[in-house]
Amino acid sequence: MKRKQPDSGSDDEYRPVSTPKRQRTTANGSVSVNNNIIGNDSPEASPTKRTPRKSNAATPAALKESGLKTPTQRAKAKALFTTPTKPTAVSTPTRARNADRSAKKKSARLLLEQDDEEVWDGADRLAEEILEDENGAPDVTTAGGDKDLKESVEASAEPTEKPAQTPKRRAGRPKGARNKRSPTPEGELPPHERYFFQNRAGPTHTSNNTLNKVSLLTHEEYFDTLARYTDPCKREKEFLLDLHHRSFPQWDFEFDQGFNICLYGFGSKRRLLQSFADWLYQKHSPASPSIVIVNGHTPNISIRSIFATIATAVLGADLPSKLGSQPVEVLELLQSVLKSRPSQEPITVLINSIDAPPLRRAVNQALLSRLAATPMIRLLATADTPNFLLMWDINFRDQYNFVFHDCTTFSPFDAEFDIVEEVHGLLGRKGRRIGGKEGVGFVLKSLPENAQNLYRLLLTELITMLDEGHNSDDEDGGQGQGENNAHDETGIEFRMLYQKATEEFIASSEMMFRTLLKEFHDHQMITSRMDASGMEILGVPLSREEMEGVLEDLVLS
Amino acid sequence: MDPDFLETEAPDSSRDGLNTQGVYIYRPANAKPNKPQNERPSKRRKVESDGQERQDKRPQGTQACPFVPLLNGEESASSVDLRYNAYQRLWSKQEAKIQVCGRFKMAHAVDTYLTVMQEVLEDVDSKILEEVSSFVKGSSAQVYDGCIPSALVTVGSNVSSLGRLLTRLNERLITGGEGGVVVLESGDAPNIKTTLKNIIRGAVTNTEGNDGYQNFLTDREGPRLLAYDLDLLSDYVQRKGATKLVLAFRDSEAFDPNLLTDLLSLLSSWLDRIPFTLLFGISTSVELFEGRLPRSSVALLRGKYFELHEASNCVDRIYERLQAETDGEFWLGRNITGVLFERTSDYFHTPEAFFRTVKYAYMSHFFANPLAVLFSKDFAGLPRGKLCQAIRNLPSFRRFCEDLVEDGHPKQVRNLLENDEYLFQECSRYLETGKQQMRNIFVAVKMTHAFLKHLNLSKKTGVSDISILALSGELHDSQIVGDILNTMKTLDSDGLKDLLATVPETLADSPQLREVQADFEALLKAYPSSGPLRSEYDSRNSIAKATVVQQRVQVTKSKAKQPKRDVEYTQILDRFHATLEAYFAGTLVKPQDLFLYEVFLLDMRNPLKDTFAPRPRFAIERALSSPFDYLMSTSDTSENRLSAKQPATAILYQLYLESGAIVNAYDLWSAFYAVFESDQGDKCDERAIMALFYRALSELKALGVVKNSRKKVDHIAKTSWAGL
Repeated sequence: MKRKQPDSGSDDEYRPVSTPKRQRTTANGSVSVNNNIIGNDSPEASPTKRTPRKSNAATPAALKESGLKTPTQRAKAKALFTTPTKPTAVSTPTRARNADRSAKKKSARLLLEQDDEEVWDGADRLAEEILEDENGAPDVTTAGGDKDLKESVEASAEPTEKPAQTPKRRAGRPKGARNKRSPTPEGELPPHERYFFQNRAGPTHTSNNTLNKVSLLTHEEYFDTLARYTDPCKREKEFLLDLHHRSFPQWDFEFDQGFNICLYGFGSKRRLLQSFADWLYQKHSPASPSIVIVNGHTPNISIRSIFATIATAVLGADLPSKLGSQPVEVLELLQSVLKSRPSQEPITVLINSIDAPPLRRAVNQALLSRLAATPMIRLLATADTPNFLLMWDINFRDQYNFVFHDCTTFSPFDAEFDIVEEVHGLLGRKGRRIGGKEGVGFVLKSLPENAQNLYRLLLTELITMLDEGHNSDDEDGGQGQGENNAHDETGIEFRMLYQKATEEFIASSEMMFRTLLKEFHDHQMITSRMDASGMEILGVPLSREEMEGVLEDLVLS
Repeated sequence: MDPDFLETEAPDSSRDGLNTQGVYIYRPANAKPNKPQNERPSKRRKVESDGQERQDKRPQGTQACPFVPLLNGEESASSVDLRYNAYQRLWSKQEAKIQVCGRFKMAHAVDTYLTVMQEVLEDVDSKILEEVSSFVKGSSAQVYDGCIPSALVTVGSNVSSLGRLLTRLNERLITGGEGGVVVLESGDAPNIKTTLKNIIRGAVTNTEGNDGYQNFLTDREGPRLLAYDLDLLSDYVQRKGATKLVLAFRDSEAFDPNLLTDLLSLLSSWLDRIPFTLLFGISTSVELFEGRLPRSSVALLRGKYFELHEASNCVDRIYERLQAETDGEFWLGRNITGVLFERTSDYFHTPEAFFRTVKYAYMSHFFANPLAVLFSKDFAGLPRGKLCQAIRNLPSFRRFCEDLVEDGHPKQVRNLLENDEYLFQECSRYLETGKQQMRNIFVAVKMTHAFLKHLNLSKKTGVSDISILALSGELHDSQIVGDILNTMKTLDSDGLKDLLATVPETLADSPQLREVQADFEALLKAYPSSGPLRSEYDSRNSIAKATVVQQRVQVTKSKAKQPKRDVEYTQILDRFHATLEAYFAGTLVKPQDLFLYEVFLLDMRNPLKDTFAPRPRFAIERALSSPFDYLMSTSDTSENRLSAKQPATAILYQLYLESGAIVNAYDLWSAFYAVFESDQGDKCDERAIMALFYRALSELKALGVVKNSRKKVDHIAKTSWAGL
């Protein structure tokens, strides 16, 4: 297979796939192209055309061996199930092409790369067929595109990757080729089998695409677009909420009988709690019950502040001026106060997300469970994560005395956490957007003119470099380059920047230059790293658009 | 849903200013100045379901009743109240039996912790309490050569009993003026300073109260001491003249061993001034506990080892009290019993939790079953219409009518169907007989249990096991009853006499048994001196003969010739056997065959199982993988495939499920986008979808199913597999 490429007409074969790749780097139509690719892989794309060809391609031996008839999965299945003892059976189609190869080389290959080759062969042939398919019937693929969505992520990744590997193949056995396989097992596997299937040893096989192809969202854009978006399930979600509203009297009764309540299920339950508080208030009016609401997701929320607020709700103006610094002290004060006031109306404490990171620790849970066990405290907590029950052992459970209700709401967690920040953190791009464009602009305004000039210089240089990079990309037309470029952030060498700065009379000495840079550092407006040769490279943690925006503002002001 | 429903629920409620605070005291939104006063109530009404609106219309006097009208909201207010009162009457009766309420947060009894203790549990615990308290009284540093006297209590699964033990021990010590118990939990001991502070505060507030503690700190002569200075404690001990200060480590395994080491050495150095006694609650084993501490610390301790009883024993007794009492009116069915005991045997509950679960079962029955009103003594005064309709819809009513028709009483059936008044009368009559039959079942269960013990048949079978059989109507045909009847036949006269003494009244009063008993006594009188009488079934009366026929040993049993008195005795035994069998057959009916069993028997596994053993992970996985189970869709998206109509997180989750152990974020995004593109064609707005993608991804992260991966750039790692 490896050999086949340089000498055979494989260029033609591979073109269709590499074309979208190129398109992606140049034009911004990445998405539609990608969908196309998904379509390519779709097994049902042209079932009529494909099936017969398939049977031709595969030798009867291979067929017998795997015994699997599904057209799509066969190659993958083979990758899984064929034994390496019958390598010849598979390589039949390539054999013809390889016939003129020297026998020595061939046998060496067989000896060295037997099973790799075989496995690789199967997967590769699948790709080959897909490509031929596309050549033969380009219009069918798009039609079948959505059918294949279940085939999912990796399936879509698979064909896109092939061209990326093409140049590398010359160097030797393709890395990870052996484990080339779909993460989606065929058929319905039981959950544990699926786990093992997806966790087999060996390098995992995913594509080399990166998110540089799409521009990520900024906070403002996120909120802007979401404000314009209307939820197609809105009615259903409202109905679901309405169903939960109907259990309010039940919850109240459970409170009344001394139980605490825990709500779980997918979705933010903040609004639900809010309306429960409204309902309770309305129901017990005019007595105006004391309701304390806790938002577990608030960063640096402390248990002590929760207890102190409850104590305030109970005592009002009688609150002692000094509560004590330990949460336990406040809790005990609270308990003794409640004990000494038999006529006290019960206090309702509503905790949003009792399993949120700030409250999750065992110490905090122990304290909260003691609060829950206090007479006259009615606790309603919500939990969002699937495994929140693991926080509590039998002792905690006993103290919490919870009854559990499934309150799936499907509401977004907009209020709970900073979504854009979370996602960027997840993707390892957190540092990129601290403050964003506004933040940088704001800091710059407060800096002296010299510093502004230096930043302008830095941005200009970087943007120029980016432009040059793009040009070279286009000239090259290769795939690797774009990736390389994007990998290491564009940066300017420290010395060079200093030189330019002195030329423009921004900094007269290195000392001064460094002082200016330090200011940027403190505000995380620049990044600095050492490259391979030990030179310091300065960059800006902003996207190109943002850089341009900041530069524009700088020049205009 | 009315059309303006959606408009009224603007998202502003989640965005009002208060919400960003970590913790705050709730004030209703209409108290805020910027909102017109009349907006809120109208909004509220729309949010609420129909049920509550009707509830608002109810007369003022019933405001306190937390129940909601049932029967599609058409239940009358008086009926709701009757239902609630019936619940309260019935439950308080049950509660009084167990007197567990001390552990509960009763709305009007603020602190019954110390005064009321569980009657049942008390019996079980009292022995160990005696042991521990005598240990505490008898031990001192002098007795133990300067080591700290310590009690090691292994609790095993019975975690809650340690708490009970400690409160009662504390009670005793305080009333005796000897000192008190300071309970420390691992949460109280993050570092040595705080631990000491907590110990001192716990000891002082135990007797002086919170104010007393503050005064104690401030009203001192000389320099003010820091709150963790043990001088304070020794001062306090001297002032109170306390001779015992028990320091209890409730969950000793959870304490930091280093901290424990420091604490122990510190305490031992104060032992001459403060009379400490330590008590360690151990859930694993003493060896493990010892192994965690350095030898030098262990050498400081000397004491005794106690073992608390297993929880299951207690639970069985609670259950017997609740179900098998002769004044019972309401019973839990086979399924619920099964769930309860399964959880107990898996150590998922403490006896208290068991009791609370039972309570919840009662609550749910009276809260949700409109027919529960029939428990009320004055349900006859209720309006008939809906209630009768409800009764006529019961499966047991149908079966009852069918049986009547088969027996040739069609007129009665017609009456039942048409005449509300007649139905009511019949109902109250049959309800009573039904309850009586249930009571009889449990009498039989208890008798079976007593017989089992008496006949030494099975030691392990508890009342609960027999109850489960009885409640599913299988007891009569079970091995247990069969064994009893067989073994009984072999009894001699002494054994029979004892057995007859254990027969419950209801059976003993029956004419057949009286006859049997009278004849039996007469027989005993007739042969007063000749030792116990034996029946022909007794093994001593049969002779085993071993003969060799064709090289095989054949054992033949033949009856020995019996004296006349034994023959007479056998006859009596046969009669007794027959009576007993008839009794079992007559009493042990299947509860589900009783008319109106729906009223006095609760046998639904589900509300209980879901409220006490939730499966949150399953719920979330289900919500995400088939969201339309929850979102009742109006459109035709019932088919289970990915579409843009599903919530974004659900789409992303399903894509995620298909992926391998690490996922390329870009590919995930493109697949996600493709879902929308294929659905909406060219109209779709990429940035909006990107925003949805962000939201969905962040939610998956919050659920903990994905995390950052360092293996490859822009990849995320999968951390959870559905269904595992």
